[in-house]
Amino acid sequence: MEPAAAPGKRVLCIEDEHFISELYARALTRAGYQVDVQLDGQKGLAAAQTDQYDIILLDLMIPNITGIEVLRTLRDPRLTPKMHAKIIITTNLEQRDDVRADIEQQADGYLVKAEITPHELVDFLSHIDA
Amino acid sequence: MGYFDAFIRQFRARLFLIILVNNALIVADWYIVDQVVKLTGVWALVALLAAPVLTIGLIPWLSANTLTQPTKFIWQAILHIAPTTASSVTAPKPEQLTFGRDLVMNLINQLYQLASVIHGLEQTNARAAQDLSVNFVAQSLPLPLIVLDSEDKIVYANEVTERYLGKTVADLTGQNVYTALDMSFVSDDTLSSWLKSTKGKAVTADHKWERVRIGLPGQNDSLQFDLAGHYNQDNSLGYETMLVLFDHTEVYAQDDQAMSFVALSVHELRTPLTLLRGYIEVFDEELGPNLNTELKEFMKKMDASAQQLAGFVDNILNVAKIEDNQLTLQLHEENWPAVVKNVVRDLSLRAGVRGITIKTDIAKDLPTVGVDRYSIYEVLANLLDNAIKYSKGTNEIYVTASLNKDGLVETSVKDFGLGIDTSILPHIFDKFYRNHRNRAQIGGTGLGLYLSKAIVDAHGGQISVISKVDEGSTFSFTVLPFSQLQDAGKTAGNPSITRNAHGWIKNHSLYRD
Repeated sequence: MEPAAAPGKRVLCIEDEHFISELYARALTRAGYQVDVQLDGQKGLAAAQTDQYDIILLDLMIPNITGIEVLRTLRDPRLTPKMHAKIIITTNLEQRDDVRADIEQQADGYLVKAEITPHELVDFLSHIDA
Repeated sequence: MGYFDAFIRQFRARLFLIILVNNALIVADWYIVDQVVKLTGVWALVALLAAPVLTIGLIPWLSANTLTQPTKFIWQAILHIAPTTASSVTAPKPEQLTFGRDLVMNLINQLYQLASVIHGLEQTNARAAQDLSVNFVAQSLPLPLIVLDSEDKIVYANEVTERYLGKTVADLTGQNVYTALDMSFVSDDTLSSWLKSTKGKAVTADHKWERVRIGLPGQNDSLQFDLAGHYNQDNSLGYETMLVLFDHTEVYAQDDQAMSFVALSVHELRTPLTLLRGYIEVFDEELGPNLNTELKEFMKKMDASAQQLAGFVDNILNVAKIEDNQLTLQLHEENWPAVVKNVVRDLSLRAGVRGITIKTDIAKDLPTVGVDRYSIYEVLANLLDNAIKYSKGTNEIYVTASLNKDGLVETSVKDFGLGIDTSILPHIFDKFYRNHRNRAQIGGTGLGLYLSKAIVDAHGGQISVISKVDEGSTFSFTVLPFSQLQDAGKTAGNPSITRNAHGWIKNHSLYRD
């Protein structure tokens, strides 16, 4: 078990697959993050807009409001004036390459969940947040 | 009327002169016959008649030639103006006239003025007719046509536009195009960015966009168009930008469905994979230290298998993208040893569970390369995966990288396993092709090499193989140093180059950096 990398940093995990968010929350909590989980786009967006998070993990295929819509809203200064969190896309959904490039441009990171383990996620966050 | 009075005076004077000459001739004739020659009888009668006979011939000739001269000049002017004879008749020179000059010059001037008025009218009529036909063409065009002025306001839209966009021409006209049309583009290569970069820099320009979504008022679904734009700075009518929309909603919907079948399948495969890999990690962490050697090995093998499956799922997806011409690469400047080491590290577990060690020998001072790091990762991962599969009891794989004689960065993966029969070698990069002899022994779909070749080709490199049965295979591929790539792509300082798996597509950066 590695030492707590980010004591107190707040992470919002917007992820509808409960088992995945559970695994991520476990690894992140052990690394010293405070983790909140939201299971759908609408609640996730509301939480991201009202609470101050350092990092938002955003799945793209989520109920009510799609991840892309959440991303656009959070990146639009008229809709979300104070946005300091880094937004990391965590998805297993494959995009057309040009669409993916467009999403990558708006986000601070883009991860395919099947290609990383929870530990690798923690490792990635510790680098992006450095 | 002064010109005409002067003309009458001059006319009268010439008539007077002619009659005077006539009478003078008759008198002179009589004088000569009667007083000088003194003829009598029949000869006198004949001689006396000579003068009137002469003048009967002379006077009409003289009068006609002199008095009709002004008419001739006017006639010439008319012919010069008339459309059918204009080219063959020269302009009259009334200053040569001996009489009636002022009147004729004035008349000719009037004629020319009239002619120019008529000519202007004709042109106006022709333009009106042309406007009508242009309008007819625009209205008959079975595609939405929208024209913008220099402020990107809609100044014209044909009736078809109404049918597609659900807004009347009256509603659209005068509106800013971005307000009137709810457009979204697949990249930041948008209409506004194009117009911004074109205005003031080009006199005319053309551009095309694919998959432009246009939202319809009061509807959730949007239509998908290809959009073609023509910009013309100097259009006298103020028609600066023309936009034509091609409705491809159905085509793209079908594409998306075909693609989304693969994408959805992949998504469904990846979700349990993510969980498997997560739980394996948790178990390894929590139980690892307490497991006996055999169970530790099982744990590693389970992890390696999950990784392999994740890699295979990526292969399926990428082959689908290549088939659909949708695999695009973003070529960036990368440090090649770091890329190679990254792949080797990830594949070491898979090699390790089969008792194989991957050894690397990477030349020092390699130049940076221009690669898409996701795709090129898969090339090397596939070659290593194959080498692991076909190693058959041998326990080493070599990965080497160096600068070859052509100045390209060449990377090789060498195994000492089964090898490939020479009869099969030419087909090894074909889709679904597998070594028949080996099929029974080793699993695999034959997608990996096909995919690797497509990706290496798209990078502008080459992939090759040397193999001998029972001695092993060496797969090599080249990638271009970043400096060479910039020359080839004429990117002029552009940090990223976009290609698809079948060659160049465009040349702009989709990335922020």
